Amino acid sequence: MNSINVVPLFVIIPLFSAFFISIVGKFVKRNAVYALSVIPCILLSFFSFNALRLLQSAPGHMLLYKIGGWAPPFGICMAVDAFGVFMLVVVNLVALFICIYSTGYMEKYTDMPKFFTLFFLMLTGMNGLIVTGDLFNLFVFLEIASVASYALVAFGTEAEELEAAFKYAIMGSVASCFIFLGIAFLYGFTSTLNMADMARVLATSHSVFIIPFVSALFIMGFGLKAALVPFHAWLPDAHPSAPASISAMLSGVLIKTLGVYALARIFFNVLGITATHLAVFRFLGAISLVIGVVLALSQWDLKRLLAYHSISQIGYVVLGIGIGTPLGIFGGLFHLLNHSVFKSLLFLNSGAIDYSVGTRDLKHMSGLKEKMPITAGTNMIASMSIAGIPPFNGFFSKLIIIFACVQAGYFGYCLIAIVGSILTLASFMKVQRYAFLGELRQACQNVKEAPFVMKFSMIALAVICVLGGFLLLPSLRPFINNAVDVLIEGAKYSAIILGETAK
Amino acid sequence: MEALSLFKSLFKIDALNIFLVPFICLFGIVVIIYSLGGGAKDIKAKGAYYTYLLLTVATSCAAVLANNMILFLVMWGAGGLLLYLLIGIQDAAASADAGKKTFILVGGSDAVMLFGIAILWRLSGSFNMDSMHVAVAGKAGVVAFLCLMIAAFTKAGAMPFHTWIPSSAKVAPIPVMAILPASLDKLLGIYLLARCALNIFIIPASSFVSIFLMLLGAGTIVCAVMMALIQHDFRKLLAYHAVSQVGYMVLGIATATPIGIAGGLFHMLNHAIYKSCLFLTGGNVQYRTKESDLDKMGGLAVLMPISFICFLIASLSISGVPPFNGFFSKWMIYQGLIQGLSAGGSRFTIFTCLIAAMFGSALTLASFMKMLHAIFLGQPSPDIARTTKEAPFLMWLPVVFLSLLCILFGVFAVALPLKYFIIPAIGSTSLSLSGYAPVMSAILIAIGIIAGLAYYLLFGAKKSARADSAFVGGEIIPCDNRVSGVEFYNAIKELPVLRNLYAKAEKGLFDIYDQGKTIVFGIGKFFQYLHNGVLPTYLIWTLLGMIVIFFVLQR
Repeated sequence: MNSINVVPLFVIIPLFSAFFISIVGKFVKRNAVYALSVIPCILLSFFSFNALRLLQSAPGHMLLYKIGGWAPPFGICMAVDAFGVFMLVVVNLVALFICIYSTGYMEKYTDMPKFFTLFFLMLTGMNGLIVTGDLFNLFVFLEIASVASYALVAFGTEAEELEAAFKYAIMGSVASCFIFLGIAFLYGFTSTLNMADMARVLATSHSVFIIPFVSALFIMGFGLKAALVPFHAWLPDAHPSAPASISAMLSGVLIKTLGVYALARIFFNVLGITATHLAVFRFLGAISLVIGVVLALSQWDLKRLLAYHSISQIGYVVLGIGIGTPLGIFGGLFHLLNHSVFKSLLFLNSGAIDYSVGTRDLKHMSGLKEKMPITAGTNMIASMSIAGIPPFNGFFSKLIIIFACVQAGYFGYCLIAIVGSILTLASFMKVQRYAFLGELRQACQNVKEAPFVMKFSMIALAVICVLGGFLLLPSLRPFINNAVDVLIEGAKYSAIILGETAK
Repeated sequence: MEALSLFKSLFKIDALNIFLVPFICLFGIVVIIYSLGGGAKDIKAKGAYYTYLLLTVATSCAAVLANNMILFLVMWGAGGLLLYLLIGIQDAAASADAGKKTFILVGGSDAVMLFGIAILWRLSGSFNMDSMHVAVAGKAGVVAFLCLMIAAFTKAGAMPFHTWIPSSAKVAPIPVMAILPASLDKLLGIYLLARCALNIFIIPASSFVSIFLMLLGAGTIVCAVMMALIQHDFRKLLAYHAVSQVGYMVLGIATATPIGIAGGLFHMLNHAIYKSCLFLTGGNVQYRTKESDLDKMGGLAVLMPISFICFLIASLSISGVPPFNGFFSKWMIYQGLIQGLSAGGSRFTIFTCLIAAMFGSALTLASFMKMLHAIFLGQPSPDIARTTKEAPFLMWLPVVFLSLLCILFGVFAVALPLKYFIIPAIGSTSLSLSGYAPVMSAILIAIGIIAGLAYYLLFGAKKSARADSAFVGGEIIPCDNRVSGVEFYNAIKELPVLRNLYAKAEKGLFDIYDQGKTIVFGIGKFFQYLHNGVLPTYLIWTLLGMIVIFFVLQR
């Protein structure tokens, strides 16, 4: 496979699958639809690992694709560097397991082809946002993913789900609106939309009075997509309302791609990060991580509890990135990877319980360990991971974030991270206690374990949780380390793209 | 070769940790034999149970041998996770609750330790225990020390982080209580404390930290033993003693004198032996009688003689009666305290601690007399069949072994454990252990007992004993009326000042877990109030947030 051709495939495959499934889905059997949706996901995962391999030999460690052969800044380009490929691997791998899970879980829903259509549109948006090198393109893909997710939240079409989707759509649109405004201001100032070219112009121009204003717009816009406090209010309604596999997708990868990736990419590689920006990130991260977990503690709806934890965990990621040292960013990105694995797993578990027992209320389930051993076991692993208990993956990323805080001298933030970790543990002890331990309820006597495909996905994700810590081994470390370097050496991004495309 | 050098940098074997390994394995073997013999009869998930037990032994060994702090933390934390899994191994709501509380405290303290390790790393630039020599001075040093202390105290169960032990005592399986809170967790917690005092930190003698730890140790001794006195369930009673005894170990190590530290380590070892013996003997009784309430037992000494003798020996050990091992280590701790005085320690603190320790020892004896009487002596309870037999062979064998160890470590204290384990561990050869000759006094005590027995057998003390009905308040109570002996101790509960304190303690006012819960839920309520579900409110936060960020960035 030629290195040039891999990049657009990340957009083409899901975009094609989305419409192909919606057209064909009405005429073929359910199993055929399942096959049609799992195959593209396998291909995408394969290509993302392939991109990882190709990247090592690529010039400047950057895979470039010029759409229509037009060189930037005039044409649109797609650029995948180490940070991009890191995100691609995370997104597509998690999407693969969620897709496999959905083939079992969606049995209950009637209009299944539409579900997969929206699923792939969302994936198109996320992959496109990661690979694109053009700011306006980024906005378009952001909107594709967002609109697909609004529809997916409302997929059950119950009153509660529609209300959540409505809130999500309004707040999401406000965010998109402000992001668009920011892009417009930047375009007006730099006369270019290519991110690399824009970074060059901003770096060379003398007065950049526009930066604070645009930064505030972007922090609010992408912060809302990432569900940082105080922009988080849509998430606790929206994430629980979606079907479980979509909740896993939303919490696991969507908020990270649309929020954290976009924020990091734009601030580190385009606008140029300043100490004030980092301070704002740290602060937002810290309050998100405390408020999220405190609110999670008093929830009895399992999925709502998990949704609040997403806010809290995103707080860790942003806090890590906001420290700004290589170690801090490493911790943040590592936690991003780990969180997407264990949070997806937790939502899949909640889906399995919902599928078998028919409830999301912790008070109505008890002693399920006996009847659903796989769900209980994988949930145990995921809970311990998110609570940062050794030897699971979440422990190592929290450890690095805390070490980075101390290294940089932010003892207060470090203390907040510790408190957040203890409260997270407390909250997941509650989940374990009420969902899986204790005596089996009379009403749950006939509960059966989830079907094979669902078990398969849960076990696969649990294995990643257990083995995640090995990514710290020196031979595997470059996977994250190279992504960290992209952010640390933010200015090189534009130089490489402009240099490579000029050839 | 590379793997070997990595291994060498991660682990380090020295005299302080190597002697713990055989004991960790020993307790593992004892508890596994006991479980095989029938101690694990009620546990359904047998495969998981033995897996967790073996993993516990493995992680404990790895934790004590680790030199790298991260490896230590991973193993230590995994031990906490296994404790949680073991407590909740029976599917019951009560044990699940206890497990939850335990792991929130234990796992939470691991997170605190992580903070401490991070600060240590910043101060010393290393993760290796042997290359850290951080002075407990300045803000960072003190915070790091306190963080590690919190972890050690929670694991070992010293106040105020002890509340998980009494909560889980009644609901966790007995072998689990015997191996984790009673022995391995103590070994690990006190090992960390000793490691901190000897290697990781430099604690100036008679400093603020030392005084603070001593007072905490003394407070733990007295408060926990006061709680133990009023318990009616033997498992809870033993659990409070497991807390109280930690106080002695902390006190010993906090004196920062060689003999005090040696005494603390020796007491840790002794405690693990007699406390696991007590829990397992109690388990034997419960195995046969299905009862753990002291009010409902009695007169079992005749029916279960082996258990009775073992329980008696272990009780005397824990109460610090010579010639058993508990006495010797307590005596060393007292010596350490007195030496601290000559080293220039605060006179007031040391005398307070000394009095508290001795007072605690007396109360320990009192509460064990209550327990011995209620379980084994006195009139038999109608709730227990007179056909109750001794526990199966594999269940009493470990107990006999442990009680023999109590005698051995008491009588030959200087010749065996001190010489081979404790003194090399602290690396000090100049311990003055004069003033008490354990072998000699053991012989004298034995002679005394033999003389008494001889008198009893020869002159038939039975003849002079007389049973008669009592006359109380105009009512004649028949002589076979049962007195369990537990009621006598209720008087303590009614003492004017203590009455209030006990009532509050039972409501959980002194429980860090309950208090923390109240605070967190209070804050949570406030935030929940803010999340009113009205879209315009949310939009207003969003816009306000953006405006604030804009002003911050503009500055």
